[in-house]
Amino acid sequence: MFVLNINGSEHSIEAEADTPLLWVLRDELQLTGTKFGCGLGLCGACTVLLDGKPVRSCVVPVSAAAGQPIVTIEGLSKDKSHPVQRAWVAESVPQCGYCQSGMILSTVALLNSKPNPTDAEIDLAVTNICRCGTYNRVRKAIHRAAQMQSGEDAASKPTTV
Amino acid sequence: MTHITRREFVCAAATTVGGLALSLELPAQENARPLAAAARPPRTPSAFLQIGEDDGITIITPAVEMGQGGHTSLPMIIMEELGGSWKRLVISDAPAAAIYNNPMFGLQATVGSFSVRGWYTELRRIGAAARIMLTQAAAHSWKVSATDCTVDDSLIIHAPSGRKCSFGSIARLAANMPVPQDPPLKTVAQYTVIGRSQPRTDIPDKVDGAARFGIDMILPDMLYAAVKTCPTFGGKLKSFDDSACKGMPGYQSTVPIEDGVIVVARSYWQARKALERVKVDYDPGKLAGLDSAQVSQQLHAGFAEPGIVARNDGDVESGLAHAAQRLEATYEVPYLAHACMEPMNCTARVTNEGCEVWCGTQNPQAAQTGAAKTLGIPPDRVKVHVQYLGGGFGRRGEADFVTQAVSAAKTTNGKPVKLIWSREEDIQHDFYRPAAAIRFRGGLDAAGKLVALEGKVVSASAPSFGRPGGPPFFTEAVADANYLIPNFRVTGLNKDLGVRFGFWRSVNHSHNPFMIEGFIDELARAAGSDPYQFRRAMLQHDTEGARRQLGVLDFLAEKANWKHRQPGHGYGISAFSAFGSYIGTVVEVSMAGNVVTVHRVIQAIDCGIAVHPDNIVAQLEGGMAFGLTAVLRGKITLRNGAVMQTNFNDYPALALAEMPRVESYIIPSTAAPGGVGEPGTGPIAPALANAIYAAAGMRLRSLPLSQHQLSYKAVRI
Repeated sequence: MFVLNINGSEHSIEAEADTPLLWVLRDELQLTGTKFGCGLGLCGACTVLLDGKPVRSCVVPVSAAAGQPIVTIEGLSKDKSHPVQRAWVAESVPQCGYCQSGMILSTVALLNSKPNPTDAEIDLAVTNICRCGTYNRVRKAIHRAAQMQSGEDAASKPTTV
Repeated sequence: MTHITRREFVCAAATTVGGLALSLELPAQENARPLAAAARPPRTPSAFLQIGEDDGITIITPAVEMGQGGHTSLPMIIMEELGGSWKRLVISDAPAAAIYNNPMFGLQATVGSFSVRGWYTELRRIGAAARIMLTQAAAHSWKVSATDCTVDDSLIIHAPSGRKCSFGSIARLAANMPVPQDPPLKTVAQYTVIGRSQPRTDIPDKVDGAARFGIDMILPDMLYAAVKTCPTFGGKLKSFDDSACKGMPGYQSTVPIEDGVIVVARSYWQARKALERVKVDYDPGKLAGLDSAQVSQQLHAGFAEPGIVARNDGDVESGLAHAAQRLEATYEVPYLAHACMEPMNCTARVTNEGCEVWCGTQNPQAAQTGAAKTLGIPPDRVKVHVQYLGGGFGRRGEADFVTQAVSAAKTTNGKPVKLIWSREEDIQHDFYRPAAAIRFRGGLDAAGKLVALEGKVVSASAPSFGRPGGPPFFTEAVADANYLIPNFRVTGLNKDLGVRFGFWRSVNHSHNPFMIEGFIDELARAAGSDPYQFRRAMLQHDTEGARRQLGVLDFLAEKANWKHRQPGHGYGISAFSAFGSYIGTVVEVSMAGNVVTVHRVIQAIDCGIAVHPDNIVAQLEGGMAFGLTAVLRGKITLRNGAVMQTNFNDYPALALAEMPRVESYIIPSTAAPGGVGEPGTGPIAPALANAIYAAAGMRLRSLPLSQHQLSYKAVRI
């Protein structure tokens, strides 16, 4: 048995130790926003945040994920209100949408470490595959989300003189 | 023109207790098109539009949503005439039923960029008929003239008296009004919805994981299945041994199918692990020795055979004989896989009553008949629940994954089974974009004018799709070229090698433009002409095709500043017609050693009336990215009858870092809508190849780029 901390709640899971976190999320916890794309950690459709870092959950055994905070697309906000989600809607990024959970979580992780990333930093950090070719809108939405977040951070800070 | 009918209201939402539902009755003769012959008429009432007393507007879309925007653009067409509130819109996917057959194409299939252009008239008629019925009902209840009533945002307004009522409040009464058969439709100038990008209905649920794709289906007591089929095309299962699976956690059973085995377990991971332990013996079939070199040889051997004549203007032999300068070149492209992000999957439940399937499909009736055949039951006992598609690109028009899921579900005593392919299964058991080759001969006169062109098209494809007796399907984009060439002959030869082939985004337009537009570029160079002017000169005749293609070409040249090209950079241009639209691209590159740097891509489309401009731009960009992936490194190779590629490591897709700067333009037009989902895929290959020639004098006659020892990068400044 493993105890997983997902989106702020603890879940006890009965699964074989080598079961990838992806399938535990999807099949045991019915958190289907995390997608299966390749099974080898190549495409990024299954990206979740493990202890704040983006990981490819199709190659993370559940045993290795136990005890660390996990954030999935469902845990980003209750009402699609996370700045990255709002930027995604504002730029009409998704087409088929299948890769977008992973794209969004890769972006959240990037913006956590680099609040205002350059294009080169985006290139390095967002390696998720999108067959619909939404990449240029993804890039625009990342910059927009960065702006939104910095604006909100500034707004939420007490004014100093 | 179809007959608009009132339909008994189907209770679509729990809160809805009555209202207006409209549908179309297809006249029998229209229903009996050759392509739709297998489709059966619907047994249950179905409708395109339902207005509930709760003011909800349910639009049942005959086009599925795979990212191409059908769940927004088709509702926009109805809403234009209806005057309904976009906020009250609820989208529902159509079930499998002949009434949803595309009026232009004849099948209920979201393919061929047919959705908007096929439904443009019928959906406006439905919207207009409903608006008239609602207005008349309100006018009747107010005892005023309907002509004094207007509609705005789901309200009917009688300005002289200041009265208003909502669609929902009058819907039940409206349902009893006569159904107008010939409702007057707005002129283009009166449009307030069409042409103004509405928010895509599917996007909000695609940013928080709420969107339900086929793979996300969850049912009570559901089991999971993994599948493995014979690696060689045409191979069959001989025997299997699942004794090593017995006692594995969650393992349920192994289900043999014609070409492989399916393992059913309590979880998908358990099914995958057990599947690895099943020992399988195959009869590899006739294609066991086939490899890619043989495919190429067979295509080339086809040049010596006559083929079917697809176009024959003038006398090409005489034209060539009298030409001042003759050119000959052979172009070739390999097989390609679709690699939809969502691997093939289907959930099925088989009971004594029949069967239900849940999947992302571009062809609900193919899913229905596939399931029915597998079970030996009539199609009307199969219910298809269409889900969002995680990419389609033509792959999900097939039903192989549906029949597999049904084969598993018929062994599980009514428990539903979700069958999911591995990515490896997906890459190795696709319906591939066929390998193809064209041998061209061209003749220029002393003035450098193209006087004779011959193209021999050989494709590992089928001779025709629904066009018996017509020109071979796979000569598209060559035989129907808009250029005026006095002696112009195109033949097509089918070399079906037994490798499964299918429809790959933009189909023949994914590769034939690369070949003909590449050879036209060669001819322009040989003539000492500017490639843009050389094309222009062949589009001066008065046909719609020539006029609109010329419009695209000129537009591109202006946007690219073709006259004042940046020295040291290579520019490539290409334009053609595809899917009822006119499309073209200019690519600007620079070359340093063997590195191709793409500075920008400029695309323009004349797609007639642009229903959802922002979505069209997205489709142009996405189509280009799909085409660019193939140009750079797309290649499926065969060894001993099996596909050598397995996953995104050896069949890599374009990455975000590789996406070039793209400008996409829609040329204003009032022509009837053309297709937009596929045209964007084709032009990048010829435009990029022509740009590489312009920059470095290197002519690419085969793809992908990677096999020419060229590497690629995109810059964004």
